[in-house]
Amino acid sequence: MLQGAIAGLAIGGVYAIIAVCMTLMAQLVRVINFAQAGIGMFGAFLAASLAQSLRMPVPVGLLIGLVTGIALSVLIGLITQRWLPEASVSARSAVTVGALLLLVSLSFILFGTRPMTFAPIVSGTAFAVGGVVVSQVTIVMVALAALVSGGAWLLLAKTTVGTKLRAIADRPVAAELIGIPVTSLTIGVWAASGLIVTVVVMIVAPTQTSDATSLSMLVIPASAAALLGAFKRLGLALVGGLLLGVIQGAVSQLPELMLVRDWIPLVLIVLFLLWNQRKEVWDAAR
Amino acid sequence: MRITRTLTGAAALAAASILVLAGCSGQASTSTATGAPIIVSSVSSLSGAGTFPEASAAAQAAFDEFNAAGGLDGRPIQYKAYDDKGDPATANQVAREAVESGSVANIGGASVLDCEVNHAYYEEQGFSAIQGTGVDPFCFTSPAISPTNAGPYVDTTLTLTYGSEKLGLQKICGLLAINGSTRQAYQGAIDAWTAKTGKTVTMIDDTLSYTTADYTPYVVQIKQQGCDAVYANLIEPGYVGLLKAAESQGLDVTFLFLTSGYSEQFAQAASYVGKGVYVPAEFAPYTDPSVKGNEDWAAVMDKHNVPKTSFAQGGYLAAQDFIQVLKGMKGDVTRETVTAALKGMTTPIESPMTGTPWIFGAGDTHNSNTAGWPIVIKPGTTQWVAAETDWLKLDAAK
Repeated sequence: MLQGAIAGLAIGGVYAIIAVCMTLMAQLVRVINFAQAGIGMFGAFLAASLAQSLRMPVPVGLLIGLVTGIALSVLIGLITQRWLPEASVSARSAVTVGALLLLVSLSFILFGTRPMTFAPIVSGTAFAVGGVVVSQVTIVMVALAALVSGGAWLLLAKTTVGTKLRAIADRPVAAELIGIPVTSLTIGVWAASGLIVTVVVMIVAPTQTSDATSLSMLVIPASAAALLGAFKRLGLALVGGLLLGVIQGAVSQLPELMLVRDWIPLVLIVLFLLWNQRKEVWDAAR
Repeated sequence: MRITRTLTGAAALAAASILVLAGCSGQASTSTATGAPIIVSSVSSLSGAGTFPEASAAAQAAFDEFNAAGGLDGRPIQYKAYDDKGDPATANQVAREAVESGSVANIGGASVLDCEVNHAYYEEQGFSAIQGTGVDPFCFTSPAISPTNAGPYVDTTLTLTYGSEKLGLQKICGLLAINGSTRQAYQGAIDAWTAKTGKTVTMIDDTLSYTTADYTPYVVQIKQQGCDAVYANLIEPGYVGLLKAAESQGLDVTFLFLTSGYSEQFAQAASYVGKGVYVPAEFAPYTDPSVKGNEDWAAVMDKHNVPKTSFAQGGYLAAQDFIQVLKGMKGDVTRETVTAALKGMTTPIESPMTGTPWIFGAGDTHNSNTAGWPIVIKPGTTQWVAAETDWLKLDAAK
């Protein structure tokens, strides 16, 4: 079970990073970005496709994929900011669902429906402790997760840019009136999340079967993790992601529970929603 | 405001019509055969969880060559490959579309469920199918269908036999991706191996599917069992995922895979192969120049830009076998006469691409290909090479 739990840390790191990005976006730009993983997927697929079909050198392909991921994120951000600045979080999040479907379909058209093969960036085992193997991807993912959440917290709490971002999140109109460049900072947040998630997907995609749909659906377990912090607390999103990965990994060592493994994030989401609505009267919570 | 609205409306209409017209553009067929076309179809899984596009593409290429050379006494073969999307309802629908469009037979199809979903319909309609790659068990147990490939069940018995008898592997762990009702067929194949060799698998995990993304938990289980070999019935992307997970977890064993992994892309994507990846190829290995018989096939595939995989070999063979049967027919070419000709076959068609000759015939089951040529990707290499100099044959066909 321990081996399974440790093995689950790698994907847990992925969940954690995406969850932290989603929490940041929920707080700063008032969007629950369902296309988060899809953006990373598209950038990674583009990089792999360039390396495969056009025989570009891998680093060049990766760079182009990275820039594309950032550009896509910025594009969605611009659309949301330009046409739905005053809309509710639900409306703005609905745009990202459309973007997700578009990205997956576009990926099918451009790159085919078969899973892509990626040149691995990080692969192999790092070390083994008493029969428990820790892979290199696990170390990289957990480190990245800590770095991203720690960096985000530092940025928001200790820097001027962070204060401005928090101002925009709290009172967008007032922030604009006192001269904070709302649009540029908002786009900056979108660009940063696009960059982070594309890097993460590029590292994790080569270590498993990678088709467009399953990579884009990483957003579901990531949402479950972000829900632990109610899309407000970064620390809890980090913990939630890692914990979810570990639980999934441990559970898949028990043959009886193997099939249930993929339902765990959904069960957690349902539990959270029930808990959230626990004080509501039946009729009122419609 | 009104002008803008009208302009926007007109632009939208123009855009929509361009899209529709672009989609409607058909392919102009050029051939020297100008007679009444013979309509031939196939039902394949071209999209969905498990896709096998090369079989029907290869059959199309073979028919294009046949048409360019004059067709059947001047009659071209008009081939249409239907996509069942891996969905039973769609498979049902396209099978009916094919038969009702006047198709005389299904040639070169490769689908995860066409045989299972539609065999009763084909039998009822007196319609025959030569699968380019039979995947589900009903492809091999229906009077209306005779595939050119050995199939994943015969291939399973072959790969396990090679592993235990030739490679001397002691503890084999099995991973099965089950689609539809194939579990029993795989068990039957494993039992056939047990009956022949007296050995059994140490562990079988049948909870995988074609869409399993992360193989880490399975690799961890295999390590705990202490197996020295892993048998898996996946498709190419699954095999890549499994090898990647094995590399991450340091699982250094021999891998016994099926022909679905036999392609050059797979060999290049498989940067880690443990102690070696072995496959009993259903058709003569085309990647090893010391093995003869694939030259014509390779030339046609290259000419028509069809990726060279074992599915492409199957589709090509299905088309060639069908053409040979057509040439031996006298009179009208209709669904009924084609079925009669196929069922009336008494002489099998030999080919250097298979270990056993292909035949349709009047039986209730058809599994004429019962041989595999062992090939291997050795550690440190990214190419398939022949591991033996001849076919490995099952003693008796099912």
